[in-house]
Amino acid sequence: MKPIAQNLIIIGLFFLTCSNVSAQGYKLPEYTSFKLQNGLTIYLMEQHDVPVISVSAVLPAGAIYDNEKAGLAFLTAKALKHGTKNFSKLKLDEEIDFIGANINTDASKEFVSLSSKFAAKDNDKMLTIIKEIMLDPVFNAEEFEKEKNRLLVGLEQQKESPRAVIGNYFDKLLYGNHVYGNVIQGDISSVGKLTVEDIKSFYKTNYKPNQAAISIVGDFSTKEMKRKLTALFSNWKKSENEIENPALKNIAYSSNNKVLLINKEDAKETTFYIGSSGISRNNPDFVAIEVINTLFGGRFTSMLNDELRVNTGLTYGAGSKFNTLKNGGSFVISTFTATKSTEPAIDKSLEVLNKLHTNGIDEKSLSSAKNYVKGQFPPRYETTNQLANLLTQMFWYNFDATFIENFEKNVDNLNLTKANQIIAQYFPKNNFQFVLVGKAADIKNIAEKYGVVTEVNIKD
Amino acid sequence: MFNGAKKYGPKLFDQTMEFNGGANNAYTTKDVTVYTNWFPASAMEVIFDLEGDRISSLSIDPKIVESERGVVLSERSTGLENSPWRQLSEAVEATAFVEHPYHWSVIGYEDDMKNWKQQDLERYFKMYYAPNNCVVVVSGAIKIAEVKRLAEKYLEPIPSQPEPPKITIAEPAQTGERRITLQKEVATPYFMVAYHTPETKNEDYYALNILSAVLSRGQSSRLYSELVNKKQLATSVFTDFGESFNPSLFSIYAVANKEVNPIDLENAIYTEIEKIKNEGISEAELQKIKNQKLMEFYNQVETINGKSNNIGTYEVFFGDYKKMFQAPDNYNKITVADVQNIAKKYFKKSNRTVGVLKTNTED
Repeated sequence: MKPIAQNLIIIGLFFLTCSNVSAQGYKLPEYTSFKLQNGLTIYLMEQHDVPVISVSAVLPAGAIYDNEKAGLAFLTAKALKHGTKNFSKLKLDEEIDFIGANINTDASKEFVSLSSKFAAKDNDKMLTIIKEIMLDPVFNAEEFEKEKNRLLVGLEQQKESPRAVIGNYFDKLLYGNHVYGNVIQGDISSVGKLTVEDIKSFYKTNYKPNQAAISIVGDFSTKEMKRKLTALFSNWKKSENEIENPALKNIAYSSNNKVLLINKEDAKETTFYIGSSGISRNNPDFVAIEVINTLFGGRFTSMLNDELRVNTGLTYGAGSKFNTLKNGGSFVISTFTATKSTEPAIDKSLEVLNKLHTNGIDEKSLSSAKNYVKGQFPPRYETTNQLANLLTQMFWYNFDATFIENFEKNVDNLNLTKANQIIAQYFPKNNFQFVLVGKAADIKNIAEKYGVVTEVNIKD
Repeated sequence: MFNGAKKYGPKLFDQTMEFNGGANNAYTTKDVTVYTNWFPASAMEVIFDLEGDRISSLSIDPKIVESERGVVLSERSTGLENSPWRQLSEAVEATAFVEHPYHWSVIGYEDDMKNWKQQDLERYFKMYYAPNNCVVVVSGAIKIAEVKRLAEKYLEPIPSQPEPPKITIAEPAQTGERRITLQKEVATPYFMVAYHTPETKNEDYYALNILSAVLSRGQSSRLYSELVNKKQLATSVFTDFGESFNPSLFSIYAVANKEVNPIDLENAIYTEIEKIKNEGISEAELQKIKNQKLMEFYNQVETINGKSNNIGTYEVFFGDYKKMFQAPDNYNKITVADVQNIAKKYFKKSNRTVGVLKTNTED
């Protein structure tokens, strides 16, 4: 009934309360971290409420390292589970399923991640399997072909859903040739050319311990876990030379309005993004920006949702979000509406953004947003999975426990003067990048109102 | 329900909740509507006040009805725009149920939506949104005595209503296979087959739930390993056997792989079902599912949201929240023979409804 709550709000990191009766005033459970000789960073946090253990690992092997082989990092991540030195794929699937555990491997733009959850009693078995998947994958050729074929059909199927593809189009438009525009799953022509040799070589170059981290949270003893991990992961060889981060290159953002119109012949509605450059994860104003975005487009009563949904009934939900990466990021307004109401929906979105700049915000709405952000903080770090993920995020984006400890203080310290500065500095006023997925014949004239239009077909 | 009552007028429900650090959402299934609030413990009294107000004296503003009509039309349209599954499952359900109200789509039909009258909404609200037809579950950093005090203050004064009319229609037994085909521009065909199965309180519930996991949970499951991995007839496959008040459906869904005729995919699914009917499942398979059920339970109780959800589900669909604690035992009692027997009992050709959605429906 309120789609926005699930899809659009989450830009921040939040936290769990265990024993604190006031849900606000939050403390991060204790954890330790250490580095193995090969450079692998390990975080351990004991949590004994439920007899489970979660593992989260990150390595710098995401889509930004694809070069011209789009989809390579993604397929390599998936192929980790195609069998290892001591386990065939079949055996792996059976072992993991039999004990009710799970292991997922996935690539994001910047990093590849492994996440796993299992019963505490299965600790030894699962750590051995995880170690094999990360260090000793065999990349079976037959399994690779199957995975690749599934991906190829999946890429075609994605085109059935505007929501599934619009983000990729937007990132390409915004980031241009910068690696942040790389599409994680690649495209049909690039994936079609990939071979099992490509993934073997990608693995060999990029899966190294020295810029990687593993975090483990749950029902175990730190001392014993430290011993086990040291034994399992110390033989992992570090890379000879540091791999250059291709995302460090400058991003050339557009200096005028652009519109990318994606024709979907059978569309009955227009799905659109309006956006621009945003911030990187380590921006010192991260928390303040999150509070303001909550007010603008990050919750049900936000300015955007209030106008586009509640007042006008143009859409089921409208929102905005800052997507943050290590060296840059984007800001997007996103919503959808019936084809015939495309123009009022885009106009309203721009009007609400303009209102944010001209009217600023008042004391009461600022307090409301601050309360909301603080109130919704605890459930974000309730589970062992969430906590394990937090620790690897801290590693990746280079922040520490003070982010959690100072979160509430940073929210409280945001006053009206600073809030209005944040709006002027981080919320765009011009150079908007529009992506519209819809029936081009019916909305092309409208699209032209907003900037230079490039039209492509969703099937291309 | 989000749009105004006596004390908190239009917009004030959400504005007040969010000002106090809370968020809320809701969903509707064929059987129930569930409202959930997530809020800091310090805001509990405000939340009770808000809920008491909207349940006791919802006032539906005609202007809000009009904008909300647009909202729900958009909700319906965006679902159809982004996935073919709702279109297909609604058609299959409407075909499987001819008399029982499970025939109807949950979100509704476009022309109906355009023509609701304010009185329709008011009548529905009065009939069903009554304390005697409602269960509230609260979990978190709270004291039971305090919850009790607030419930007595804000919820107890709300007058009960006459019992809503009972559903008296039982769907007659299906006596032959039913098939339905739909057209939509898709990369490869979408397939669904659904069997009539009993309601949650029925003794077969646990065995059917286990069978659902045997078929589709994890990459070692029967349907995934055979259809997706080995034979490569499908790109994905899943099953659904959920909670219901009245006899409902056990559904199997699959998306065909490239160049696969949906009939071959369909037959491969039946082959797997026949294997279970003829040979049963193995002890190891049964143990696997029991192990998975335990992990599932841990995951559910790891969060306050999961606790509330789980307790509410057992109270409403199983008749007693305490059954949640008996669930592990109830699963452990199931034998391989039980699973084979219920497969034989329900997975019959005459009891199934098949749906296919594809681009070209002329061939």
